[in-house]
Amino acid sequence: MTNGASERAEPFDGPSHFVRALWGFEVRVRALPRAAEEFSPRRPRFAGPNLWLPSSPLAGVPGSFSDYLFAACAHISAHLRFGAPRFEIKSLKPVGIALVSLLEDARVERLAIAHYPGLESLWAPYHRARPEGVKTSRALFARLARALHDDTYLDDDAWVIKGRQLFWEARNEWHDPSSCRRIGSALANDLGQMRLQFNAKDYAVEPAYRDDNSGLWHFESESAGNDPQLELEAVRRVEGDAAAAPQRQRGMPEAMPALAAGASERSAALRLATDVDTPPSARHPEWDYVIQRERPAFCSVFERPVAPEASTRLASMPARDTAAGKRLTRSALRLANRHPQRIRRLLDGDRLDLTATVATVVARQSGVQLDPRVYVRLRLRVEPPALLLLLDLSESLNATLSRAGVTLLELARDAATLLASSLAAIASDVAIHGFSSNGRHEVGYYRFKDFDDPYDEQTLARLAGMRAHLSTRLGAALRHAGQVLLERKARRKLLLVLTDGEPSDIDVHDPKYLLLDAKQATNGNHRSGLVSFCLGLDATAERSVARIFGAGNYLLLTQLEELPRKLAAVYLRLSA
Amino acid sequence: MSEGSIDAYRIRQEPYYRPQGNEISLFEAAYGARLPVMLKGPTGCGKTRFVEHMAWRLRRPLIVVACNEEMSASDLLGRYLLEGGGTRWQDGPLTIAARFGAICYLDEVVEARQDTLVVIHPLTDDRRLLSLPAKSETLVAHPEFLLVVSHNPGYQSALKDLKPSTKQRFGAIAFDYPARELELEILVHETALPPDLGERLVSMAEAARRLKGHGIEEGVSTRMLVHAGSLIRRGVSVEAACQMALVQPLTDDPDLILALNSTVRACL
Repeated sequence: MTNGASERAEPFDGPSHFVRALWGFEVRVRALPRAAEEFSPRRPRFAGPNLWLPSSPLAGVPGSFSDYLFAACAHISAHLRFGAPRFEIKSLKPVGIALVSLLEDARVERLAIAHYPGLESLWAPYHRARPEGVKTSRALFARLARALHDDTYLDDDAWVIKGRQLFWEARNEWHDPSSCRRIGSALANDLGQMRLQFNAKDYAVEPAYRDDNSGLWHFESESAGNDPQLELEAVRRVEGDAAAAPQRQRGMPEAMPALAAGASERSAALRLATDVDTPPSARHPEWDYVIQRERPAFCSVFERPVAPEASTRLASMPARDTAAGKRLTRSALRLANRHPQRIRRLLDGDRLDLTATVATVVARQSGVQLDPRVYVRLRLRVEPPALLLLLDLSESLNATLSRAGVTLLELARDAATLLASSLAAIASDVAIHGFSSNGRHEVGYYRFKDFDDPYDEQTLARLAGMRAHLSTRLGAALRHAGQVLLERKARRKLLLVLTDGEPSDIDVHDPKYLLLDAKQATNGNHRSGLVSFCLGLDATAERSVARIFGAGNYLLLTQLEELPRKLAAVYLRLSA
Repeated sequence: MSEGSIDAYRIRQEPYYRPQGNEISLFEAAYGARLPVMLKGPTGCGKTRFVEHMAWRLRRPLIVVACNEEMSASDLLGRYLLEGGGTRWQDGPLTIAARFGAICYLDEVVEARQDTLVVIHPLTDDRRLLSLPAKSETLVAHPEFLLVVSHNPGYQSALKDLKPSTKQRFGAIAFDYPARELELEILVHETALPPDLGERLVSMAEAARRLKGHGIEEGVSTRMLVHAGSLIRRGVSVEAACQMALVQPLTDDPDLILALNSTVRACL
């Protein structure tokens, strides 16, 4: 029924769906960065809606790893749902921080269980502390955690009993996290009087599904001096994130060594060369809303070659996204095989055409000439639409996404590559083009993959050579792409546009001008039978995108990481 | 077909229907004005049950046609059949309804090809005519005849929609999954489940509906809840019933199945 976690590219998809189902908000789940993975014992971690979970089972944790991930996610989501802004450390010592966190863990879990009673059994297997053994602070913490979670658990330790009692006495204040701070400080005090050592260095939150508490506290650089261990943790976190990015690049090219070196310089040189001598590939009109008229042959579009570049990152990309890719291929295949077509009036076929048979019998009765073609045959029509994916390659695509260190351009390129690779098996009618402009005399148009190009290393190398610069003269590009697409023979033709905002160019200062021109271009494409759809990378640009493409013909992404999947989904939806 | 055999389409017993709003009075008013009605809403939220209930309430026979792409105009209107040495005309479901004054319900109407649906046009404006070209007959619809169609706007593609000229002939009533208390009431009525258990199933449905658009095309429907409830009534364990009726039919994606399983556990 289910594949092993290793087979899936995204083992954390399930947990994030789970959180969405429980509470209706989004979380981003990723593997703990390498540095934190090596740190033992490992614990989940969160900062706002970003979750980091271990990527392999923890030693000594019962049950399946998948169950563990769900339990951890459920716990963190309870923090997100019922927690308050991060606690201030103020004068708290490490032991106090640990205890307040422990009580806060219990508090948010209690509130979550009130909504979803079954969560209790989800967490219960991990509470395995028993009222026996040496009473170290670490053991007592685990016993207290269990006592607060499990009402049937019996413990004879006075400190644990007191903790449980204080927690329950405050049950009317459970909505208020400050109750945890009060009880936690009191318990920390008692622990000090019991002369029990608390060593922040080897302390690990128990049970293991709970996060390491770093997401609960506000560390300021001044105040963090109070707690060297937690400060160290925070540093590790930052380092870990930074380390995660280059990790992907590791294992440099084996394929195409000839292309590897110097390719980027060459491509830059190619692009910067202006086309003074060469005539433009096409001149397109432009709509001027002020005079309500098209200016004929106003924009010059230059089709320029793309300098290929080696990229193992792209080559391995489809493998990384296998789950999404496979799903896409499968759905596209199903799609292609649908739509039965009836061929009527055949001399021989699968079944009788009732109407034709009746007519023949009537004809025989009345003695006129018979038409013996009374059979009908069903044929499955295999005809996916021709798809042109048009990428806006203006300078703004070089913007880096907040945390992941990926640029919009890389994201768009990955999405395009995934689509091309997934559809390669069934449809050759897929093209990936891009454009950027430098005034109306110089609109650059690039074909990374043309309709009949196979999906091979050369295509990949061209995709890897994608660069973003200059501006967005969308209208001219839409007209040009429309023309290219119209030459295809396919019955249905899709123009999918990927852009990050409103059209703009250096020689235009009226923001309405290019917007209305692009709208005019889309209308023109629509009239000639193209279906246009826009994927917007900037959720704030809704007004302009809606204006250009019309209601229902666009999708704005709020979670940019979802682009590859959304792109595939849009393709499937429009092809159905 | 004779006047008498239309009786086979009458609904004898009151189908249970719990109104969500003013849909019953709206439908009655539309029926009074002989205005064709379109029911919009996600799958399994009670559209078909509502039509059955209204047919019973208005004492009209109900003829249901499940639309599909293969359907041709003659599947709706009727065709000649061979009989003995000659031919005999047989009315299609739409013709029968128009002739004898039944309610004709075209379920999932967008699944039919647009050119097929054009035959309903003269029937749905004030002419109320059905033209049967093969038979050279123009049928004036019975005064009690009403056309009802259903359609699910949720998962239709941009290319698959009704023509505006078809759409605009209808008055439309929008349906959605019932509010929590109503859904519980329906579930308990249909399956005689204890209310506390019913409540957990409803929580499960609400949670799963939040995944709509994230890999799940349509959330858990009220119908699916009723299925789960009836399995539980037959002695299936709650978890297994949720697996069979709620989780597995909803998706094939392994990640989503894991997420839904955990959600089931969290709700129970």
